[in-house]
Amino acid sequence: MITLFVHLSPGDIWSALTGAGDLDPLVTSLEAGGVTLAVLALLCTPLAWMLARGRLPFPRVWEAGLLMSLLLPPLVIGLLLVFMVGPYTPIGEVLAWIHQSATNTFLALVIAEVYESAPYYVLGATAAFAGVDTRLEQQAGLLGDRPRGVFRRVTLPLAAPGLAMAMAVAWARAMGAFGAVVIIAYHPFGIPLQIFTTLDETGLPSALPYALLLLVVALPLPMAAYIWSARAERRRRG
Amino acid sequence: MLSVDAEVDRRDFTVRVALEVADGERVALFGPSGAGKTTVLEAVAGLVRPRRALIELNGRVLTSTAPPAVDVVPWKRRVGLVRQDPGLFPHLSVRANLLYARSARADELDALAAELDIAGLLSAMPARLSGGQRHRVALGRLLLAHCDALLLDEPFASLDAALRRSLTALVHDLSSERSVPSVLVTHQLADAQAFADRLAVIDGGCVLQVGAPDEVVRRPASRRVAELVGYLGFVQAVPPGADDGGSGTAAGAATVVGVHPDRVVAGTHPDRGLVVTGTVTAARPSGAGWEADVLAGDAAFTCRLPDRPAGVEVAVTVLDPPYFGPDGTLLVSGSAYSRSLQGKRGDRGACGRKPLSVL
Repeated sequence: MITLFVHLSPGDIWSALTGAGDLDPLVTSLEAGGVTLAVLALLCTPLAWMLARGRLPFPRVWEAGLLMSLLLPPLVIGLLLVFMVGPYTPIGEVLAWIHQSATNTFLALVIAEVYESAPYYVLGATAAFAGVDTRLEQQAGLLGDRPRGVFRRVTLPLAAPGLAMAMAVAWARAMGAFGAVVIIAYHPFGIPLQIFTTLDETGLPSALPYALLLLVVALPLPMAAYIWSARAERRRRG
Repeated sequence: MLSVDAEVDRRDFTVRVALEVADGERVALFGPSGAGKTTVLEAVAGLVRPRRALIELNGRVLTSTAPPAVDVVPWKRRVGLVRQDPGLFPHLSVRANLLYARSARADELDALAAELDIAGLLSAMPARLSGGQRHRVALGRLLLAHCDALLLDEPFASLDAALRRSLTALVHDLSSERSVPSVLVTHQLADAQAFADRLAVIDGGCVLQVGAPDEVVRRPASRRVAELVGYLGFVQAVPPGADDGGSGTAAGAATVVGVHPDRVVAGTHPDRGLVVTGTVTAARPSGAGWEADVLAGDAAFTCRLPDRPAGVEVAVTVLDPPYFGPDGTLLVSGSAYSRSLQGKRGDRGACGRKPLSVL
């Protein structure tokens, strides 16, 4: 951050970001990041809970899959996504049938961001759920609460700080997703691609304002999650 | 009424239990760690699936493996369980914990909180409570949930003796007041005796004996039960009537008398039990008195005496001791033996009346 500010003047930032369409990458990144978080929350939260509670068959296979996607270079993920959701694949054909495409579209950007950020979220969320004492859930059940109520009233509140942190990490990861994105979602530009193309076309000084922008939008959520988690922990301690 | 007839497979053995607990009755499941006590409670609570079972509560079948099979889910059993960890929800205040159950009625909260002495803690978070306060809150939560049965799994094991005593007395009174069947699991005999109307001794998954707490201790059904309820020595002795009946030394040699350290008095009192002489191998202060290790023949036992044993040789009387046969089962209890002695005053032939009947 200090380096960025040393090499950037307010004038540079102003001139770089006030032109017509200069903030479009920011809007694109925020929208794609928001949709990515929603997808993670809806699909990966139950997955993490099932992993934490051992409710999935072949749990080692699932864990290996998560680790693989975590360890694979994002560029490789992008290449593999082309073979998975590209236009000549069964999924691509289904998408085409409903007039959608997973190549160079907003949908493709979301898919790439989900794939890059999902392992971080699932692993973090699994740890958060695993940290909830199952005896508390049993106790809630014995007090007459149904499983859904137990999840809502006990499991989720207790796992919430960990889930928030996992979500924050996933958000930062999604906002900075580049490797897979550059392969299957070159358009529409998010901020990382804007940085890359600006760097490529006009040089380092022109790209720095976008780098600052990326940090400004990517960091507040993790910071907020951290502060909220710490406050929740303090509240529990009375 | 809670009725349990179940077999639950564990990794190392099968827990078999048949038990009925009437409304307002308190039963203690007493036994060593790993005996299967908790498994019984978990089967009642629906947390483990029995291999064979018929578990009923107030006429409702909770579990039945016989067709048509029934397995009521835990949240519909109306069974309250308190464990050693009281299991308070750490993110909820004491008030929210107490009112957690959907069946909890807020209008009862204040009166119960006052009864449990937690009225001043309602807005506190569980992390701020002491161990005793947490257990009081957990107990209050169960009572406000209006459970039909109370299951207590060594709830106070981590607390100091005084607190344990006061909480046990509290649960005792509350379970009577609410007239619900209560089952306490413990490996502390004193806790079991303080709480229960009936004591069930369980070991290796089997209920070995059920009876009134004092009855079980004074008349253990077997040598194993005697060991579990605190008999710290077994001395060989001629069984009562063996001298009269001429059963012979061989039979007598295989008979042992259980010595409970609290059922021993110093001196020779042949009319009160079995007189044993032996050598004191060690003596140490115990409570307000002394605890002595005594070697009598080949057998060693421990006894507690009001005063420090004077000298190496000691004569003690084991009060109304139980006699166990070669297979470890109770031959005759001390009290039955005493009664038989009362009818034979002056008969010096009975084994227990000899100054030293240890073989």
